[in-house]
Amino acid sequence: MENKGLKEKYIELNMGPQHPSTHGVLRLKLLLDGETVKNVEPVIGYLHRNAEKICELDFYCDALIYFDRMDYVGAMNMEVGYLEAAEKLLNIEPPERVVWIRTVMAELNRLASHLVWAGAFGLDLGMLTPFFYVFEQREKILDLFTEICGSRQETNYMSIGGVYQDFNDKIIYKIKEFTKQFPKKLDEVYNLLAKNDIFISRTKNVGILEPEVALDYGVTGPMLRASGVPYDVRKAEPYLAYDRVNFDIPISKGKDVLARFVVRFEEMRQSVKIINQAIDKIPDGPYFNPKARKSLMLRLRGEGDVYARTESPKGEFGVYLVGDGSVKPYRVHVRSPSFKNLSILPYLSKDVLIADMVAISGSIDLVFGEVDR
Amino acid sequence: MNLLLRISSILSVFGHYPSFILAYIIETLMVIIFATVVVAGMVYLFRKYMARVQMRVGPNRVGKAGILQVMADGLKLIQKESIMPEGRDDLAYKVAPVLIFFGLIMGFIFIPYGPLAWFGQLTVSHSDVSLIIIFALIAIMPIGEILSGISSNNKYAVLGALRGVAKDISFEVPMMLSILAVVMMASVKVSNPLDINGVVVAQSIPFAILEPLGFFVFLISMAARASYSPFDMGESDSELVTGNTTEYTGLRFGLFYLGLFGTIFLGSMLISTIYLGGYYGPYTNYAGFIWLLIKTVVLVVISLTIWLSMPRVRIDKFVTFGWKYLLPISFINLIITGILIFGGIA
Repeated sequence: MENKGLKEKYIELNMGPQHPSTHGVLRLKLLLDGETVKNVEPVIGYLHRNAEKICELDFYCDALIYFDRMDYVGAMNMEVGYLEAAEKLLNIEPPERVVWIRTVMAELNRLASHLVWAGAFGLDLGMLTPFFYVFEQREKILDLFTEICGSRQETNYMSIGGVYQDFNDKIIYKIKEFTKQFPKKLDEVYNLLAKNDIFISRTKNVGILEPEVALDYGVTGPMLRASGVPYDVRKAEPYLAYDRVNFDIPISKGKDVLARFVVRFEEMRQSVKIINQAIDKIPDGPYFNPKARKSLMLRLRGEGDVYARTESPKGEFGVYLVGDGSVKPYRVHVRSPSFKNLSILPYLSKDVLIADMVAISGSIDLVFGEVDR
Repeated sequence: MNLLLRISSILSVFGHYPSFILAYIIETLMVIIFATVVVAGMVYLFRKYMARVQMRVGPNRVGKAGILQVMADGLKLIQKESIMPEGRDDLAYKVAPVLIFFGLIMGFIFIPYGPLAWFGQLTVSHSDVSLIIIFALIAIMPIGEILSGISSNNKYAVLGALRGVAKDISFEVPMMLSILAVVMMASVKVSNPLDINGVVVAQSIPFAILEPLGFFVFLISMAARASYSPFDMGESDSELVTGNTTEYTGLRFGLFYLGLFGTIFLGSMLISTIYLGGYYGPYTNYAGFIWLLIKTVVLVVISLTIWLSMPRVRIDKFVTFGWKYLLPISFINLIITGILIFGGIA
């Protein structure tokens, strides 16, 4: 009975998987009452590549490239996430130099990821220009990556117990040069967006997410911090060298889309702070653990199960590894933050306009390599 | 002496009436060519300017500095296969882009272009009520938008068309009210205030100075009419793909594209004609047309800057803005104009 009534009144609209604002391959089944969104049903899986299962079929060291391709915008953080788990399972300690190098790289990639988000968010709101401003900076980061690891996005830079290439003075100089000019450019983009009245009217009080609801849904990362919960794995359960650098966890009481925007930009400023400290603290030493040198790499065996969590640009990234004593992991499971954050979209976009729904889905920061895995 | 008379005197060998008809046809063709060339130039300007703003190079491969890129794109659009959606309302689907083009070109015909050196007055056609005619003709274009939206059997297109309607009705009333204030102001000085040429003649002081509120309302209305960002809710690409033009390809899409850029140019021309003194400037009798063009291009560049630096307004916010702010403002403008006229200031 009710269904019949629904059909007469509402329009069903299929947004995606090929649509300009679905960030890749998200498909949204919308139920519209005119312009008002009555119901959203995200349909995912269009980029499912079975990454977890493939990881189980390969050696421990080979899983990295699949993790690169999960959150391809923040590949370094994915590698850090996997290695936190794998090194715990395989009992391999990375040398001190490697820890600091990884910290720098992870933060650089966090910058790149947030920049991409800012550009795409501008596009979602119908603003093309900031996209190019942020991509100029992102390109500089990717140039640094090219120089260090020979690859731009899916870097495959880190390895178990080390990194593939050592930092040299030239790279350190270049990173310093980059962080010197970056905050000014960041402010430029920030002012272009956040000081625009239309931008504020589009984002303020849109998609309000109460902290209790956010916690219930398992939302993490900037989304959660924008709701006023100061939870960041880097502080709560420090990994790498985060307990030895000085930085703040930006939170906002706004709870809306604008708050998420502000939090992400503040996070970028904090990341620059971390990089500036970490780059000076990189100690001398080997850049890989001899226990995991190349000739031994395929013979690494792990037993037991570990769960390691890290703070990826999207939120809490967890990796669960089970080893059965062989050279391959028995089970690899990933808790991907984008996936958990996406689950809040139907809740947030009840009875909002289509334009608001796009702004909300833009504010989640979705990367589909990671949602679908 | 105007251009029409000159052409007809050249053609007078064909007889009196045929030469007039021929002269009209020739001048109308000239206007169409003018509009197309101007729009092509604008697209080039837009792309170069946009590239400049966004720290890119812009078109630079076809021709010197990419000048021929627009032509290449146009040719591509013309020779492209026209893919039409199934289940469309055929007539409406095909008529819609033509209506848009028609409204645009007809809008250009009544604008007083002013004198240019030997050619004399360039105005194609004039009427005692040309101000009303122009806005009536421009009002044809939304019909094209709506038809294209509802005929192409696509939900995005329908939503885009609905947004277009909501947008149009919320700014057209204030726009016409601000025009009414202009007519009142002009009626003090000239006997034909409904003739757009009379409005230009009446501007010994530009109306933008006498009626800043009306100028503001009209500026926003013209931006909304041309529907570029921040007023591009109709074809908002991140929400509705491209709104009412989603199902159009090839030449028909080209006509919509022409309509978008043409409306920006036409709107800028109308603003400069009605509020900024039109073709008036130093050496009006020789270079009036040049003055009009200069004012128009400055306004076009301002429009493009707004386009490139603003996010999209949400449709309900714009409707609220139209009825809650623009309409009262235009009424206040009307009252102030009346006071100015009675006080003998204007």
